[in-house]
Parts: sequence; C-alpha cells; structure tokens
Amino acid sequence: MSPTGAAPGRAQSRRTLRRLLSARNVVVAAATALALLLPLFGSNFFVEFVMTRTMILGIAAATIVFLAAYGGMVSLAQYLLAGVAGFMVGNAVVAQDAWSKGLKLGWNPWVAVLFALAVTTAVAFVLGALASRTTGIYFLMITLTYAVIGYYVFGSITPLSGFGGITGIDPPGLFEDHPQRMYLALVVLSVLVYVAFRVLAVTPFGLALQGIRDDPVRMASLGFNVSLHRTLAFTLAGFTAGLAGVFNVWWNGQIDPTSISIGPTLDLLIVAVIGGTLSLEGAWLGAFVFVAANNYLRNLPLVDHIGITEARFNTIVGVLVLLIMILSPDGLAGIIDRIRLGLRRLVQLSRGSGAGPPEAAAGSAP
Amino acid sequence: MRYKPTFRRLLSLVGIVAVFALLAASCGDDDDGEAAPATTAAPAEPEAPAEPEAEPEAEPEEMEEMEEMEEMDDHAHVHLGILGECEGAFGAFHEDVVAGASLPFITFAGGTSNSPTSALEGFSGAVVAGVPIEVVGIGCGDDTPDRIIQEVRKIVEQDGANVVIGPLSGDESIAIANYAKDHPEVTFLNGIAGAQETTMVVQAPNFFRFNGDGAQWNAGLGDILHNEAGWDTAAVIADDYSFGWTSTAGFIAEFCAVGGEVISRVFPPLGTTDYSSFVQQLPDPDEVDGYFWAVGGSGTNASLEAFLAAKGDLTGDQHAGNLFFSPALAAALGTDIAGAYVGGFATLPGDVSSPAIQEYLASADAAWDSLVSPMSGMEPGSPAAAAGFGFFYGFYSSAVAFIMALEQVGGDLSDNHAALRDALANIQIDGPYGTITLDDNRQAIVDTSVQQLVLNDAGEVVSQTVALIPAVDQSFGGTFSPTTPPPDRENPVCETRDLPWAGNAIPVVDGVPQS
Repeated sequence: MSPTGAAPGRAQSRRTLRRLLSARNVVVAAATALALLLPLFGSNFFVEFVMTRTMILGIAAATIVFLAAYGGMVSLAQYLLAGVAGFMVGNAVVAQDAWSKGLKLGWNPWVAVLFALAVTTAVAFVLGALASRTTGIYFLMITLTYAVIGYYVFGSITPLSGFGGITGIDPPGLFEDHPQRMYLALVVLSVLVYVAFRVLAVTPFGLALQGIRDDPVRMASLGFNVSLHRTLAFTLAGFTAGLAGVFNVWWNGQIDPTSISIGPTLDLLIVAVIGGTLSLEGAWLGAFVFVAANNYLRNLPLVDHIGITEARFNTIVGVLVLLIMILSPDGLAGIIDRIRLGLRRLVQLSRGSGAGPPEAAAGSAP
Repeated sequence: MRYKPTFRRLLSLVGIVAVFALLAASCGDDDDGEAAPATTAAPAEPEAPAEPEAEPEAEPEEMEEMEEMEEMDDHAHVHLGILGECEGAFGAFHEDVVAGASLPFITFAGGTSNSPTSALEGFSGAVVAGVPIEVVGIGCGDDTPDRIIQEVRKIVEQDGANVVIGPLSGDESIAIANYAKDHPEVTFLNGIAGAQETTMVVQAPNFFRFNGDGAQWNAGLGDILHNEAGWDTAAVIADDYSFGWTSTAGFIAEFCAVGGEVISRVFPPLGTTDYSSFVQQLPDPDEVDGYFWAVGGSGTNASLEAFLAAKGDLTGDQHAGNLFFSPALAAALGTDIAGAYVGGFATLPGDVSSPAIQEYLASADAAWDSLVSPMSGMEPGSPAAAAGFGFFYGFYSSAVAFIMALEQVGGDLSDNHAALRDALANIQIDGPYGTITLDDNRQAIVDTSVQQLVLNDAGEVVSQTVALIPAVDQSFGGTFSPTTPPPDRENPVCETRDLPWAGNAIPVVDGVPQS
C-alpha cells in the first residue's frame, strides 16, 4: 500500500470515528451502559417493573416515532399490533390441560414467537396497504379505526380472546423466574431496534421514505412507488411493535381485549409525544417518564395534600403533555437538544466574541 | 417580543425540575416498603423506632426480649394493600370499597380513621392479636386485568404488602388469583368481584373469597319464577362478557333445574347503545312466559326502552332481572315494571332490618363523619348509606374474616401465613346480612335473597325482599365444576337436577323472615 493511498483512508476513518462519537451517540451509549448495569444497584421493583415496562413501551413507541419522523405517518395502530402478537403468543403457548381460555395450542414458546411475529407482520402489511394512500389526519383516523375495530374483533371472537382474557401465559424457560434476564434482553432489543431504525434512515429505502414524507407527489413523479414504501414502513413498524407485544405478554402473564382498547392505545401515543415524535431516543425517555409518573408521583412527599393521588394520574399526565407541548413540540428530546445548544452558546460567549457567530460554530460538520 | 424566550426558559426549567423530581422519587424507593406509605400519609406507629433509643440502660434480659420482639416484628407485621378502582365503570365506588376494607380495622381492631371525611387517607393504630396493621398502599384499578396486575405488583413488590384485600370486578379477580399463585408469601382476600372461575377453576391456595359469585347472587330466582310466577319458558338477554354470562348462568341453572326451559339466549356486546336488533331476536311476549335481563350500566334502560318500542308493554309479571334491575328504572319506564322479581346481591334492601344490620350501619357512621359515595349522589353523605350497598359490604366481610382468623391464630404469620390460611378456610362469619362459610375452593357459601319491585303507599316503585335463600354454594348442585365449561353464550345447558336449596327458601313478609 502506498503512503499516498493510506493517508486519505486514515483520514476517512478518523472522520467516521468523529461522526460516530457525536454527543448524541455518546449519550445514548452511556444510557445503554447505565441500563445494562442497572440490575447491579437498582431495586428489584425498579428493574423488573418500572424499567422493564419502560423498555417495552419504549420499543412500541419507537415504532410510532419511526413512522412519524421518517414517513410522516402518525399511527394509532401500533398498540393493536403489539396486542395481536400478544394474543397469538397467548393462544399458541397455553397448554391444552391448563386452565385458561383461548385456543390452547400448547406450542413451544419460541415457535409461538415466530408464529406471532408472522401473523403480526402479515396483519401490519394488510393494514398498511389499506392506509398507504392516506396521510396526515386521515392516516391518524384510519389507524384509530384499526385500533377500535381490533378491540371489538378480539372482544367478539371469544375463542381467540376468551373475552375475559387469556391468563397464565408463561415466558420461555430462559426468562421464566428470571425477570432480570428479561429486562436485559429488552435493553439489548431496544438497542437493536434503535440502531436498526437509525441505520435504515440512511439506506436508499429510508431516504426514499423521507422524500415521500416531504413531497410524495415529486417522489411519485420520480418513479418511486409511494404506497409501497409507506406499506413496507408500516409493516416493519408492525413487526417491531410485535416484538414489544411478545415481551409485554410474557411480562404481564395475561392479555385480554381491554389490553388493546383505546386507553392503552392513547397511552402509547402520549409516551411518544412526551418523548418527542421526531426523535427515536425520545420514545424510551417518554416511556420512562410515563411509567415513573404512574408509579412514583403518588409517593412524592406532600403531593396527596394537593390532591395528587393515584386517581389523578391521567390529570397529571395530561398536564405534563400540555406542558411539554408548550415548551417544545419535539418533546423532552427537543428540550434536551435546546438545552445542549444553549449551553454551547454560553460556552462560546464566555470564550469571547473572537469565536465568530454562534450559528457558524454550532453548525454541522462539513 | 423579548419576554418569549425567557418565558420558555422558565417553563423548560419547570419541566426539567418535574422530571428530576420523578427521578428522585423513583430512586428513593426501596423494596422493603420503608418509603412513605403510598396514600396513607399518617405514620402508623411513630413511637416504635424511638423506643429502643429511649431506654439505653435496659437490662440484658430486657434487651434480649426487645431483640426478639423486634425480630418477631419483622415477621408479625401486616402490611395491608387494598385494591380499589378509581377509574373505569366502577371508579365512583373507590371510596366505598376502601372504606369497606378499613371499617373492621376501625371497629374491631382499635384503629382510627386518618380523616373524618375520606377513607382514602387510611387508618392508623389498628392492632390484631398484638400484630400492628399498616396500610401500605391503595391500588387504583380501572376494571381491566392489565391495570390491576400492575397495581398489585406495585403494592406487593414495591410497597411490600403481605395481605391484599380486593379487587372489585370479575375479570380483575381472575388475574389477581393467577398472580396469587406466583406469590405464595402474600394472602389475598377478594373484594366483591363475582367471576366464577376465580375460585372454582384457578384455585389459588392463598386466595379467599367471602362473597358470592355472580351466579350465586341469582339463586332462588329460577325457583320462584317457575313455581310461583308460573313461568315454564324464558328468554334471556345479557351483556356479552363474563359477568353477564355468570349472572345469567345462575338464573338458567336454577330455572332449568326446577323444570323450566330457556328457549332463547341473546347477548348484546358490552357498550351497545342501540339494542333494537338484539331485542328483535327475542321471542314475542305471546311466545314465551317471561324474560330475564342481565344488561348493566347505561344498557339497562336502553335495552328495556328498545323492548318497549319493539315488543309492547313492559309488565312486571313477564320480566325479571339481576341486581341491575333497580327501582330507579321506573323513573324512565313507568310503574308497570312493578311486580318484577330481581336477583340478590351481597346486602339486602333497606326493608329488612335487624339489630345486627343496625349495629353494622351505625359502626360506619361512627368511623367517618361523611363519605363521598354514589349511594349519596357523589356528595359527602352518610357512611351508612355506602355501607348498605354490596360493594362496601364485600370488602368489609373479607376484612372481618381476616381479623377473626388472625385473632384465632394469635397473630401467627409464620410459614407463609400457614396457620392464618388454615383458620381463614374454616372460619364462619355471622355477619349482618347472613352467615358466610367457605367451601373447599375457598369460595363463600352465602345466604342470598330474591327481591321484587313493588308499589309503595305513595305509588312509587321500591325494592322489597320476598325470600332468603340460605347456604347457596357455587356448584348449583353440580351444574358448575372445575371440569364443566365456564359460563358463556352456550353454557350452562338447560338440564333438570336437584338443587340443595330448592324449596328451602325462607319467605320474607314485610321485612320479617318467616322462619
């Protein structure tokens, strides 16, 4: 190798490294490390309940963020798809002789997972294809319709749901009686989902999807199949929501039609809004705030004296959402971004005026 | 324009502070329940930790004794969790059921309510057989199994409850009974949930139910309708979910057992607003002797209105219902409904009174000045009004059973509450509304009642007790068992069989049982 050939290569790898070591990536990596180490010092309840639920909701909310940020589609059907996966797992794994409802197929749990993901993906493909010609508020309404219909479908077809729900759904041996393992698996899955969605954004498919988000007519005239791209994005999001649904039913041990009713559906949207519908990290951040508020607000000293009891959770979350919408429509992730920029500006100001205009200094790398 | 960024920055600050406060709260908790009790602000025994410090010169023997007592204290301490419902269809009854679970600890265990106007503030100072009782958490369900599982996990796994009273509604109780199986260290006492499978099929050894299920509450109705009202055939219309099926199953099992025939079963989905198509599926009034209704909530009125529009008059002699058939229906439907027989619930209507009932209602009034309950129109009202309704009483009887059992075993909570559970399984409560014992599945065998809507002297429709049905068990003479299909749209099938209580109903005349 000649020295002239090696130098540009080294420079490029240095540039790649510098790009990978962006503040955003470093913070995400640190958060991941913290999440992985959490079982060493966190209380059991915090790890096995609060953080496990955070990861499940985070993955499901990340699919909303993915569709909204890259595809311009705000979907209310993601919790339904998670529920479809949950119902399929429930029907498939519960043994014939166990007391429960549903089909009781008694399959191997891992086969059940494959089956559940296949069904969920197929359902997502069909629903996505039907909704792919709409956008904006109409897409939101169609997916809301899916969520409502899904609830009634499972509520009416009682052999699939038992109406009262399928109970006693045990996770596979790997996770049964090992809730911390399930948590760690969820952290790993969260990282995979996060990385996959970010990588997807720079693939030709992801770029085309973002083009369609910005100007579907122009993309169509350039020869891109707009509907197909939207359908495939929805299918991928459905598959990912299915993964969250599988873990959710393992973690919860049961699923019933009310598990996918309008309440939980809206909760998931709230999670995405709190975190920020344009930032993938926001999904997990929003999930954490939502779950923590649900569990710990009532424990804060003195709050019950001002009427914040467990019965007021929805009011609190409503106020929190309002506050976040006023502060930053990009959610908590947007607030953090703004603070980061503000701090940078402060640092530059303190270094004196010689640093040039802040816009130039804060601007992105060439 | 300059104020805008400042305002935003201020709001940002508020938002960030809120998030950090949450973080701080979440990091501050621990597993052993030392954190502030969830909703009960008052410390139960403030002097307990101070005592050892106060007597530093205690004799060595005393020190040993104190250590032993402290050791015992770790085990012999009841951390009570109560599962109510602050949202959903029964959310209005949150205060009622928490009060129901608390009242026995105030009446029989020396506790005092922390607030004269709300049971949600908890109680303090209750001690049973030397064991202090502390409320560590009040769960907030919304009548869905998912939510109640999350609430019970918080109460048990975070707040450290070792005894749980609740839940309120049917599907929740199935989920809780399943949860109980995985948590043998906790004793669960059902609140007022009436799903049949909870005890008959799930059979968690640490789950006890001191109230009847939805089917048991309708015992006596089929017998009276067939043998006294002369119905040979009946059509049923009920909500299409587990409580609707179970409630109807109680009527069908008995009506068929004594020789009646159910010729039509219609199940509108829960939440239906237009019942006309479902009512059309029912036989016409000249094709059937009577109709049994188990449609609840806003559906009760709507479905009966639909019947009026489609099939003609709504007469008391041709209609009967479960507990949803209340005198309030007459306000919208007219007084023709008088004469209808109605199934029972956990308590009796106000027409039956006894010293025990009076004493029970007075104890509620003594515990609180007022409570906000649907029984007083969601205004601060008499606690006795809340106590007179079944939701309150279901939670009450579970707490009474727990106190009796704990006293019986001298406060022994060792070996995963083994002695306590043994005592609970064999206890007999002679409560204000009848005797309660448990069967082998830890399910109550209860006295229930049949009521009738009648016109009083003022021409108003009121509820009147016509019969008491003693010792109703869950199996209905073998109609229901762990191996038979649970109640659903087709089950139980219509079959003649012997019922232990058929023909044994105690008539009630003018509020006085005739035995």
